[in-house]
Amino acid sequence: MTAAKIIVNEIKGYHRFVKFLIVLVSLGALASLARFVFGLGVTTNLNDTFPWGLWISFDVVTAVPLAAGAFTLGAIVHCFHIKKLEPLVRPAIVTGFLGYSLVCVGLLLDLGQPQRCWHTMVYWNPHSPMFEVSMCIAAYTTVLFLEFLSPVCEKFGYHVPLRLLRTIEMPLVVAAASISTLHQSSLGTFFLIAVDKLHSLWYNPLLPLLFWLSAMCAGISIIIVEATMSHKYMGQPDESELLETLAKILPWVITVYLTVKVFSLVALTQGPLFNRPGLLVLFVVEVAVGGLLPLVMLMNGNVRENNRLRATAAWLVIAGVILNRFNVSMFGMEAPGTFYYPSFLESVVTIGIIAAHILFFVLIAKYFPIFEHHPETVDYSIPDHFHKTEKGHAHGAAKA
Amino acid sequence: MSSENQDFNKSKAFLIDMTKCTGCRGCQVACKQWNQLGAEKTEFFTGEGYQNPPLMSEYTFTRIKFRDYEKNGQNEFAFYKEMCMHCNEPACASVCPVGAFKKTKEGPVTYDAERCIGCRFCMVACPFGVPKYEWSKALPLVRKCTGCYSRVKEGLKPACATTCVSAITYGNREEMIKEANKRIAARPEKYLKKLYGSEEAGGTSVIYLTALPFDELGFKPVTKRPLPSYTWQALRLVPGIFLTVGSSLSLLSWFNHRKERIAKEEEQRKSGATPKEES
Repeated sequence: MTAAKIIVNEIKGYHRFVKFLIVLVSLGALASLARFVFGLGVTTNLNDTFPWGLWISFDVVTAVPLAAGAFTLGAIVHCFHIKKLEPLVRPAIVTGFLGYSLVCVGLLLDLGQPQRCWHTMVYWNPHSPMFEVSMCIAAYTTVLFLEFLSPVCEKFGYHVPLRLLRTIEMPLVVAAASISTLHQSSLGTFFLIAVDKLHSLWYNPLLPLLFWLSAMCAGISIIIVEATMSHKYMGQPDESELLETLAKILPWVITVYLTVKVFSLVALTQGPLFNRPGLLVLFVVEVAVGGLLPLVMLMNGNVRENNRLRATAAWLVIAGVILNRFNVSMFGMEAPGTFYYPSFLESVVTIGIIAAHILFFVLIAKYFPIFEHHPETVDYSIPDHFHKTEKGHAHGAAKA
Repeated sequence: MSSENQDFNKSKAFLIDMTKCTGCRGCQVACKQWNQLGAEKTEFFTGEGYQNPPLMSEYTFTRIKFRDYEKNGQNEFAFYKEMCMHCNEPACASVCPVGAFKKTKEGPVTYDAERCIGCRFCMVACPFGVPKYEWSKALPLVRKCTGCYSRVKEGLKPACATTCVSAITYGNREEMIKEANKRIAARPEKYLKKLYGSEEAGGTSVIYLTALPFDELGFKPVTKRPLPSYTWQALRLVPGIFLTVGSSLSLLSWFNHRKERIAKEEEQRKSGATPKEES
């Protein structure tokens, strides 16, 4: 029996949905190959009027806030010390790590010269938000990778690296939150240069702050959705009690976000707001369905306690953030009378990237101790003496 | 971004008097010749009016736009030369993550194809829609008017300005603005009493004189504030925010963990247990 045969047999044993995901990912990979063979012009609907399309709007500008769960939860659990939420941290870190890795993939596909991506590290231009974001994404992907190493080391029982990772855990959490604050907001700074291009419903000087706040809303919501779904479909432990706590924090963040949004809209916006009916509808849907509705829902205790309704509210927030990012980076940027829609190949690539995210998450949860990690057995205070790390923990967690 | 503390009055600028343009498109041809740009297959009336090619592109760095209008019952043409404006404080240079664009002290904004990673942020940022992309290629780069920097730095005029018999004057920016105002003062009935480019996007190295209102000719209405300042007002806060968030979260977690450790030690002292059995 060769290694290849073992792998094939292993894959044959997967659920139909996982096999379907594998097909989608392969299609996406083929489509991205086509982009390099035939060029961006033929494979995408991009042109000189719409230089940025679906790959930037979704794979980068939207995917980054959707991967914000890791830093938000890390800060909540370790810095604000709401320790009981700890079991949710690992899945969030895996999501974040996958999310950022796939952002890098999407970015490389979209770049004209992906082989030169290291140029950003060499030819610094601190005046460019893109420079800042690419440095941050590189740094944060590294941080997430290090955080992700913990379950990997546990799986294989590597003691020494585990101890090292434990030592740098707090610095990593703080670094994650600070770096994320920077690039989540700087994605908003991207569009501050689009004066007279981005419609004034979204263009205002506080865009970076709004991007940061809404990223936290998305991050928390993604954790709720993810935990609910992995309980329902993957038979993972039920975390409803913890999700209730998260659902209590979420409306506060939404309230701050909406307050800043209303303030910037009323006080800081220049230019007409009501001249484009289509955009106005998009704006109203974004704020009402993706902001106000889940806010009202989550203020109700019955909704927070009900698994279904809580997940619905979280889905609404996610939809609101996605629509917001598309409004800012795509719809709001379109000049009147012009229209961009993604080509078939562009869509296949993006669907492939989403499928890859779900696929890798399922597979990682299958083979590594992501949900089995039981924090009550671990001392999470800053390790002031090295010998405090329990020796039996690594094996115990892997077996459990 | 090399534009700080630069005296833009002494940098070179184009003065383009559209009332003197005859629409011969010699500038288009000269531009293609000097920059070795390929031809484009064109058809009549695929663009907005009589002009061809229909848009600026990777092959066309400058273009004359035609606009027909009626004057005293007669059909007349007005023209607009579309090209890179060579802003004093270019948006493209500020947003480029690898600093591929540079405002030279001579005036032209140059582009370094060796550095470019092809992210197209310059195209999103440019208020005039100037940078164009090599959409036909698998590994595309950006193309745009170079202001004929290779000629200008050797003391020559740009190719289009050399070719043009009537409409394009090239010289120090200060003098070009003075000359433009002189022309307006001399023949106020002929000119619109505004210069396009003296203040647009914080001032550009291309100054236009026209007879018709700018928007009718296809000039874009553009903010008077230099565009890099819009992003810089947020980006300049980055180091401060990084340090603030980092240090306050560190402090917060240090306090919280200390509190927990003290509580735990207290507990252990009370129960008399050894620290090794803590969990």
